[in-house]
Amino acid sequence: MQELSANIRRLAVLMLWGFLLVCLLFGYWQAVRAPGLRANPHNEQARQRENAIKPGCVYTADGEVVLRAERIADEWRPAYPQGAVYCHLTGYNRDTGLQKAMREVLLGIGAYEDWWRTVRYGPGGLDIALTVNSKAQKLATMLMRGKRGSVVALDPRTGAVLAMVSAPAYDPAVVLENKLSYEMFRNDPNSPELNRALQGLYPPGSIFKVFTAAVGLDIGLVEPETIFECSGATRVSGVLVKCRKPSGHGRLTLSWALADSCNVAFAKLAEQIGPAQFRSYLKKFHLLDQSDVSLPASQGKMADFDAYKGERELAQAAFGQGATMVTPLAMARMTATVANGGELIQPYLVAQVKRRDGQILREYSGRSLGQAISQETAGQVAGMMAQAVEKGTASRMALPGYSVAAKTGSAQVMHGEPHAWMVAFAPRQAPRVVVAVVVENGGAGGTVAGPIARELLNTLLAE
Amino acid sequence: MVCGAIGGLGLALVAEATAQPLSWALRGLTPAGVLLLAALLMDLVNGHRDRLLLPLCGLLATLSVVFLTRTDVFLAMRQLIAIVIGVFLMVAIYFLIEDVRSLGRLKYTAGVCGVGLLVVTMLWGEVHHGARLWLAIPHLVTFQSGEVAKILMAIFLAGYVAERGELLRRTGIRRMGMRLPPLQVAAPLLVVVIFCLAIFVAQRDLGAAMLFFGLFVAMFYLATGQASYGLLATVVFGLGLVIAHHYFPHVGVRMSSWLNPWADPQGAGYQPLQALFCLGEGGIFGAGLAHLPVTKLPAAATDLILVVIGADLGLIGSLSIVLIYALIALRSYGLAWQATDRFASLLAAALATVFSLQALVIMGGVLRVIPLTGITTPFLSYGGTSVVVNFVALGLLLAVSRDCVPQPEPTEPDARA
Ligand SMILES: [Zn+2]
Repeated sequence: MQELSANIRRLAVLMLWGFLLVCLLFGYWQAVRAPGLRANPHNEQARQRENAIKPGCVYTADGEVVLRAERIADEWRPAYPQGAVYCHLTGYNRDTGLQKAMREVLLGIGAYEDWWRTVRYGPGGLDIALTVNSKAQKLATMLMRGKRGSVVALDPRTGAVLAMVSAPAYDPAVVLENKLSYEMFRNDPNSPELNRALQGLYPPGSIFKVFTAAVGLDIGLVEPETIFECSGATRVSGVLVKCRKPSGHGRLTLSWALADSCNVAFAKLAEQIGPAQFRSYLKKFHLLDQSDVSLPASQGKMADFDAYKGERELAQAAFGQGATMVTPLAMARMTATVANGGELIQPYLVAQVKRRDGQILREYSGRSLGQAISQETAGQVAGMMAQAVEKGTASRMALPGYSVAAKTGSAQVMHGEPHAWMVAFAPRQAPRVVVAVVVENGGAGGTVAGPIARELLNTLLAE
Repeated sequence: MVCGAIGGLGLALVAEATAQPLSWALRGLTPAGVLLLAALLMDLVNGHRDRLLLPLCGLLATLSVVFLTRTDVFLAMRQLIAIVIGVFLMVAIYFLIEDVRSLGRLKYTAGVCGVGLLVVTMLWGEVHHGARLWLAIPHLVTFQSGEVAKILMAIFLAGYVAERGELLRRTGIRRMGMRLPPLQVAAPLLVVVIFCLAIFVAQRDLGAAMLFFGLFVAMFYLATGQASYGLLATVVFGLGLVIAHHYFPHVGVRMSSWLNPWADPQGAGYQPLQALFCLGEGGIFGAGLAHLPVTKLPAAATDLILVVIGADLGLIGSLSIVLIYALIALRSYGLAWQATDRFASLLAAALATVFSLQALVIMGGVLRVIPLTGITTPFLSYGGTSVVVNFVALGLLLAVSRDCVPQPEPTEPDARA
């Protein structure tokens, strides 16, 4: 009997431990994990609660309202006062664009839940201030009208995205007007829904020579004055690499090879660099990485140089052809790295999270990813790009009163005209603005993408 | 009295929140009134019995009506009827059993009936919500046989261990530094493991399998005092579950939703995830009574009534419920500890184990420690059989406290008639 009593006591203690564990677990889910659970998109109970919250607004850096909430028939609906200008940033419903990416901020839930704020200021979401400049964004949207492609403008010193446009654009209000307009929008062969700045993958063409030149200079393989030989074509592992000029450039410096966009010189340079160094600098430049701008983005692609006929792939990658595919934002970022003295700063789109009374709750800045190339190399590359504007292929980029550095590109594609590219920054000595433009099947970079980049540079420099 | 006040207040609040006529609130007083009447009746004959269990269980039953009214008014009405029947049976059992010790004689009858019920259910039971748990007597009644069987098995095991316990206590053979159980222990344990696995596979009910297994192992432990046998059996049982799940994938859809509910949040993982979300919605202080619509919560009235309470009353409410369960468990084990008779002591311990395990299995399921099972939450979740059987078990515990716990000094206030 006595032993039975002892056993009963031990069994009871075991059960009590079980109840204690259950208490701790209730505490874990209902106190520790509760904010995350409340904000989870699968939470059916939350839907109704969230529908009652007035979402915050989205502003540009200069205070233009881009997205706000409107009360229609007992529920909050998003309204887009600027029509199509910011469509790829805001998205067209709660499941796209910043409305999805910044859902917790806009509704003031999850990590942004704060019951003290709710008690003091009433329920409601938080406002978001973007880094975007409304003038530049509007101008870029207008310049890209009727074209397919993308424009990205950055501040190279901070990584702030000054403009991000993808064309064709759409007006969310028009798209959501009725079922037919929505169907047409979703099935449009020009895919207006796609944010080409982040998700579009393009061969970069000759603008990629900026990268190849930077690598060659940074590892001390060449100098801007190093002489190359161009006879119009060269043979790399049995395949002919042709130059832009069929007659050939003859003897030319690296500097001039970039300014006048000589493919042969760069194919030879890449051969000297070798696949290992080429790859290591791709990493240092984070060229193929997704961006950090809180919106869905694609990863770049690059040929495998170790595969069969890898040398050929490397020679083509040197001037941005072959299997090389990059996003416009990645090219803007690469140019910004050169403009910023070789320091790579991850671009960012959301500048601040604000309370409704204007109190700033969080402030963001571009994350530095370290020195991709030395400051000296960056200066040399910038000089070569300035030469391209002064007397090379990018001569249309010249702006009165500013020294502009730029590089054109005309990326050959399987079907149709080449994609027209332009990357540029100014002023050369103390760069404030970087612009990258791509026009799908636009033709020559200088004549199609150039004027767009130039107008945008001009406007942003005047700001 | 306490139950009455809480129930009335709770239902008044629910009536307020759900805009039901206030008459609903008055019906909430029914369980409280019935329980009070039952207590008075029992006191008429013999005032010496446990004074804690009845109010605690009554509180749970009252809360059940409150939260069922908030979830589904129709179910709350049916639950009310079940409570009335359950309390009636509890009083009847309390009076019919003149001496609880005499129940020990019925152990084999109880055992045969219990196993028989389970086997019949495995073979001919009705399948509801993917589990074969129901037994129908045509034109008369449909009931969850496992609920009935658990009481019968508790009586059987208490009687068996009380009589044959000494047999099980032989020390085992030492081999390779481990004490292997002797055949007298090993054989029954093995039978138990297989029996419980059979419940799992045939009834597709992991909850009942775990409950019965836990009860058996706990009783073996009480008889032998050897925790290692229990551990060994648990390991074998766990392996058996894994193997059974491997060979009969249909029996455990809830298994994959337990391991990774995020893989399919709209399908298999829907119920466990929504349960967690509801708990999260409750937070620390609760969303407020009947504030959150639980229409998207599957089985809110049965499997997940705890989640509804957690959502409405928050962490504070959840912890209160756990506290009530812990107090009931503690008091029941206390009765087992105090009881002077070996059979009565074991019966109280068995009932306490069934009760605690059932609460722990469903809470563990909700909190994602073990797979979410369809086991009922004692006294709280909707289910006629469950409520009636729990009140019958309470009647047995009260009878134990009346017959086998020594009377305290007459100066204590408890002793008044
Ligand atoms: Zn050439």
